[in-house]
Amino acid sequence: MTAAIVTESLTKRYGARVAVDQLSLSVDHGEIFGLLGPNGAGKTTTITMLLGLVRPSAGRAIVLGHEVGVSPSPFLRRVGAMIETPALYPYLSGYDNLRVLARAGGIAEVRINAVLPMVGMADRARDKAGTYSQGMRQRLAIAAALLPTPELIILDEPTNGLDPAGTVEIRDLIRELAADGRTILLCSHLLHEVEQLCGRVAILKEGRLIAQGTVNELLCRDSGIRLHVEGDQDRAITLLRALPWVSGVVVEGDLLLVNAPATRVAELNAYLTRNEVAVAEIGARERSLESFFLEVTGDH
Amino acid sequence: MITDLRNLIAAEWLKLSRRPLSWVLLGVFLGLMLLYLATWALVVMLHTGALIGGNTRFEVLSPAQIVELQRQLSVPGIFGAVLGQVNSTGGICAIILAAGFLGSDYTWGTLRVLLTRAPHRGAYLLAKLITLQIGILVTILIALLIGALFALVCSSTLGIPSHLRPGDLLALPVGVLRSLYIILPYVMLTLASAAFGRSALAGVGGGLIFLALDVSAGSLNTIGVVSPLVRWLVNLLLQPNINTLVVLNSQLFGLDQSVLLSSLDLGLLPSPLHATLVIAAYSGFFFWGAYRLLLRRDVVGAY
Repeated sequence: MTAAIVTESLTKRYGARVAVDQLSLSVDHGEIFGLLGPNGAGKTTTITMLLGLVRPSAGRAIVLGHEVGVSPSPFLRRVGAMIETPALYPYLSGYDNLRVLARAGGIAEVRINAVLPMVGMADRARDKAGTYSQGMRQRLAIAAALLPTPELIILDEPTNGLDPAGTVEIRDLIRELAADGRTILLCSHLLHEVEQLCGRVAILKEGRLIAQGTVNELLCRDSGIRLHVEGDQDRAITLLRALPWVSGVVVEGDLLLVNAPATRVAELNAYLTRNEVAVAEIGARERSLESFFLEVTGDH
Repeated sequence: MITDLRNLIAAEWLKLSRRPLSWVLLGVFLGLMLLYLATWALVVMLHTGALIGGNTRFEVLSPAQIVELQRQLSVPGIFGAVLGQVNSTGGICAIILAAGFLGSDYTWGTLRVLLTRAPHRGAYLLAKLITLQIGILVTILIALLIGALFALVCSSTLGIPSHLRPGDLLALPVGVLRSLYIILPYVMLTLASAAFGRSALAGVGGGLIFLALDVSAGSLNTIGVVSPLVRWLVNLLLQPNINTLVVLNSQLFGLDQSVLLSSLDLGLLPSPLHATLVIAAYSGFFFWGAYRLLLRRDVVGAY
């Protein structure tokens, strides 16, 4: 499968500050890829470089087979993007905002009537954009991203400002778009959203890529085993530390948190039983993307 | 490229024609133009006594100046007067319009969205410029129509005769195009200022400061009598060249600006060819500046 987005040592410096530092990642065609990171991690700068709006200081980006920055940028006709806060002409109606973009991109205006219902904006499309709530602005910006029937959709915080029902609608829409074979690059600070939607994620911190992989891979990595023994806890710790595949044991109240592959739960249980340690409870230590994110970004 | 440009002009026209600022500026310009024409009409009425029954006359201007004013209030002279207004108060309105037109795309962050749909920045800037010139052209045509109606009113109330000959109609496109050409460098400089400051305010500031300096520099025209070298240098400034084309436009419709403006020495003004080339050079330089600023700088969010 060829990649929809490839970045090679992509770097952006603003004076002495490095916004994006040698970022190398690859997004496959047809997948939903999550880009995570705390504020100022370089997510939006990365997106704007992919769209040719910001010139990289070093490295390169290839989007839909075209190297970004080599003018002109015909690949952009196949890309839909919503970047940060929605930018609209306040004196124009929602419909006319889309007309401006349709005209500029040479897109048939009939397409506007197709995308407005997709984001639930058909009823309010004739109102002035200046009167829209944040959620409606967000919906219109997503409609604008969908206008060119894009192969690649870049969405930066797409559910920002939406009510819970709206959030679910947009997540369903993202799933539908991905099911249609479109590639989606999703930036979000809502980690459970990324966990629900994305197959693979990359985590940025201070411009650097600190983790990349499928959500399952990241969550299983160093996930460990949770254990509750009855009786001599110290003996159990000694036995556990004797195992070559256990890298550490942490006592947390009555529980023992064992740094060992979660796939070896049954093996560990049998080993302790053989050595006459009564196991009251044992299982894989469950982790959320949120706890993993906080751990790797050091924001806890 | 041509298709891209056409698409962009269609998009920009939608924005310009729906923008309240465009209509406000059109109203302000037409209001000021009518005020100017009404003032001249009042002066003529006071001078001829038409206002108060012919018993009392206010002879502030010379008879030659009154004849010149009467020409400005009748067809075809009123076309010259209207085009003169386009290139004075209209220029200020055009600067504000151009600044808002480009600057707001920076301020609202819409430039970023537009450039993801139409990524060729040169085409975007050219489309802006062409759309602005179309907007100004429409304004000029409306102003000429209102001017012609005003001349009809003057003809019936003041008895100033109007004569529209085929030659005057043929002269109209020339005058209109020349007016657009005169405004061009100010529009270009405003676009460059808005791109430099990434805001409408920077555009208005840059455009109006330049206009004020340029008009002030126009008074240097008189020092051209010192020597041919000084005259040559002064004529490299924009204002004397603008004055040449403005005078040509008024002469096209039978007006003589020097009758009303005694300080204007037509003999010191540069030739039409010189004026055309200097204005083209200024316009080209300002456009190049705006293009380089737009091309080389990163486009980030709303400013």
